Amino acid sequence: MAENHTKPDFSMVMASAVHDMKNSLSMLLHSLEMISEELPEEMKNSGKVATLQYEAERVNNDLIQLLGIYRLENNNLSVHIDEHFIRDFIEEQAARYEVLLNSRSITLNIECEDDLVGYFDRDMIAGIINNTLTNAARYTKDTITLKAFQEDNNTVFEIADNGSGYPESMCNAPGKIFKGIDFETGSTSLGLYFAYQVAHMHKQGDNVGTITLENGGDLNGGIFRIRLP
Amino acid sequence: MKSEHSRMNIKSVAALPKTYSRLRFLVVDDFENFRMSIKQMLRSFGAEKIDIANNGNDAVQKCTYEHYDIVLCDYNMGDGKNGQQVLEELRYKKRLKHTSSFILITAETSKDIVVGTKEHQPDGYIAKPITKAMLQKRMDNLLLQHEALLPINKELDLENFPKAITLCTQEIQKGSRYKSWCYKTLANLYYLTSDYSHAQKIYDDVLSKREIVWARLGLGKIQMGKQLYPEAIEQFKKVITDNPDYVEAYDYLSTAYEKLGKRKEAQDTLQQAVAITPRAIPRQQHLGELCNSNQDMESAISAYRATVKHGTYSIHDSSDNYLNLGRCLSDTSEGNDSEKAKEYAKEAINILDKAIRKYDSDEVKASANLIESRVHMGQKNEAASRASFAKAESLIDESTVDAETGIEFAKTLYRLDETERAEKMLHKLAQRFEGDKSIINSIEELLDEPVSLSQKIKARELNKKGITLFEEGQLEQAIETFKKALNETPKHPALNLNLVQVALKSMKQQASAQVNIPFLEETLDHVKHIPTQHRQYKRFITLSKKVADLKSS
Repeated sequence: MAENHTKPDFSMVMASAVHDMKNSLSMLLHSLEMISEELPEEMKNSGKVATLQYEAERVNNDLIQLLGIYRLENNNLSVHIDEHFIRDFIEEQAARYEVLLNSRSITLNIECEDDLVGYFDRDMIAGIINNTLTNAARYTKDTITLKAFQEDNNTVFEIADNGSGYPESMCNAPGKIFKGIDFETGSTSLGLYFAYQVAHMHKQGDNVGTITLENGGDLNGGIFRIRLP
Repeated sequence: MKSEHSRMNIKSVAALPKTYSRLRFLVVDDFENFRMSIKQMLRSFGAEKIDIANNGNDAVQKCTYEHYDIVLCDYNMGDGKNGQQVLEELRYKKRLKHTSSFILITAETSKDIVVGTKEHQPDGYIAKPITKAMLQKRMDNLLLQHEALLPINKELDLENFPKAITLCTQEIQKGSRYKSWCYKTLANLYYLTSDYSHAQKIYDDVLSKREIVWARLGLGKIQMGKQLYPEAIEQFKKVITDNPDYVEAYDYLSTAYEKLGKRKEAQDTLQQAVAITPRAIPRQQHLGELCNSNQDMESAISAYRATVKHGTYSIHDSSDNYLNLGRCLSDTSEGNDSEKAKEYAKEAINILDKAIRKYDSDEVKASANLIESRVHMGQKNEAASRASFAKAESLIDESTVDAETGIEFAKTLYRLDETERAEKMLHKLAQRFEGDKSIINSIEELLDEPVSLSQKIKARELNKKGITLFEEGQLEQAIETFKKALNETPKHPALNLNLVQVALKSMKQQASAQVNIPFLEETLDHVKHIPTQHRQYKRFITLSKKVADLKSS
C-alpha cells in the first residue's frame, strides 16, 4: 500500500495532546479530592484546595475551547442535538463547582423545572456553561444563579451573578469581540467567541441560537444568556 | 450550595444507594489509576459489584460470561480496541441487553470519533475530567432512568413486543418524565410489528411540534416498508440537509436508491457517509460492493483499503476484506502495463501475502494464492503465476471445495488459458450448488464473460451502443457493433443472441439480402454451452428454432 509521508496532522497532534492533558487533569482532580478528604477541617476550608480545583477547571475549559475553535476553523466540529433533561444537565455542571463555591462561600441557586427538556449538543453547551460559571465564580460577590426556562419554543440558559457586571463594550456585541482580542481579556473573549459560534450552530428552521450579555437583573450583576431554538 | 435535588425525584434519589448496591458494574480503562479511581467513586455511591477490565478484549470477554447492568468504558485505550470498537462488538454479538447501559467516558470531540461512536448508540457519555460530585450526579440520573424504564426494557429483551407496547403506553399516560423515550420506543415497536399506521401517527405528531431527527428518519423507514421509495428518499434527504452528520440517514438513502436501481446515486450517498465515518467497516464493505458492481474500481479499491486499514481491532476484521481488496487491485491491474497498474499489482501481492500469513485457513490461503496467480499473469509473469497457482492447487480438493473458492479457481484457470478445465470445474460446481441461486448466478457470469474486467467493460459498452443503434433502426451498424463486442467476450450469450436477432431482422427487411445461415448457426454455436437454468436459455431456444425454420424453408 502506498505510504503517506506527509507532515503530522496538527489537528491530530492537538487532539491527542488535549486528550492526554484531560486525563492528567482527571487524575489531578481526583487526587486532590482524595487528599482533601484526609486534610484537617481548617485546611479543607482554607480555599487552597478549592483554588487548585478552580485552576484545573479553568485549564480544562481553555483546552475545550482551544480545540473547539480549532475544529470550527477546520470545519471539523459537528453538533449533535439531542433531547436532554435540562435540570439534570445543569445540576451535573454545577456539581463540578461544589467544592470551589463552598470554600468561597458563594451560593449557587439553580432555578429550573424538573422535567423541562431542551434540544442541544450536550458537550458544547456544557463547555459554555462551565466556562461561564468559572468566570462568574471569579467575579461574583457571593451569589450565582443558574437558571433555565422555556420561552417561545426556545431553551434559555441564564447565568447571573452579583458582581460588578460585564464591561459595556462586551455587552454590545458578544462574540464579535474576538476580533479585537487582547491578552488581558483574552480568555474571556475566547470563551464568548466560542459560545457565540456554538449558539449559532444550533438551528431549528430559520431560528438560530444567540448569546447576550447584560448587566442588572435580580442580582444586579452580570447576566450571561444563551438562547437555543 | 443550595442546589437541592429535583423535588419529584427525592424519593427515588433516596433509594439510589440500594440501586447502586444491586446493580453490577464493569469499569473499562487501560490506565490502572483511572480504573481504581472510578471504582472508588462508584463504591462511595453504594455500588458493591464492580468488575474491572483493563482493555477492550478483556471487556468483551467479561461481558460474554457475565451480565452487567452498567458498563463504564473509556474511549481511548492505547493500542487495542477503543471504546467504540468495544461497543460495536458488544452490540454486534448481542452481548448488551436493553436492560444494560453502556456509558462511554471520553475526552474526544473530533467529528469522525463523535459521529462514529453515536452510530452505535451508547446510553450515555461522560466527559473527562471526572470529579466525584459530577460523576455521582450523572450516574444518579442514569440510574433513575434505568430503573424507571427497566420493566419496558425487560420486555424488549424478551422480544415480547405487545407487552412492551402496553407498558410504553402506560408510561406515557402516567405523564412520565421519560415520555419522549417512550414515544420513540413505541413508534419503533409499531414499526417492527409492521403496524405502520400507528407508527406513522406518532412520527407525525412529534414532527408537528418540532423537527426531530428520529421521527423524520422513522417516517422514511415506514415509507421504505411500504415500498414508497421516492417518498422515503425525500425524508432521508431532509434528515441529511438538517443533520449532515447523521450517518444512518445516508445508509437508508443509499438503500432506497438501490431499490430503485439507481446504483450510482446509492454509491455517491455512501461515499458521503464514509467521508464522515471512515472507520465504519460494514459501510465501507457495502460501498466496496456497490463500487465494484458500478465498475468504479478506483472507489472500490479505496473502500476496501479502508476495511483493511481500520479492521485491525474491529469485530468486522475479516479475510474477505483482504481478498476483496486483492481482487479489485487484480482486476484493475490486469492486462495493463502502466506504472499505476504495476503499483496496484504490487499492492495486491502485498495485501494477499498478509492475508496468507494472518488467517489460518486453507480456503483463505488458496483464494489469496489464486488471486496472486492472476495478478502475476496480468503483469505477464507466467512463472510466478504458475507457482502461486500450484500452491493454491495443493490446498484445494476440487470435489469438495466451497463455491466461492471454486469459482475463484475457475476464474484463474481461464486466465491460465485452461478453458476446458475451467468450464468443467464450473459445471461440477453448478451441479453441486444447484439450489443456490446466487452461486449459480456467479457461475453463469463467469461462464458468460471469462475475461478481464477491462474487456468486460468494453464489451458491455459496445453492447449498449449496439442496442441503441438497433432501436434507432440502424441495423447494419448495430451488427458491426455487436461483432466488435464479441471480439472481447466471444461466448457471451446475450451478446450472441442480440447479434442473431438483429441479423434476422435485417435479413427480413432487405428481402434481397442474402440469408447467411452459416453465420447465424456459428453465432448460436457460441451459446450452446449454457445450462438449461440460464436466463438466456429460453431466448436461445426460440432463436435457434427461427434459424432452423429459415434454413428448411
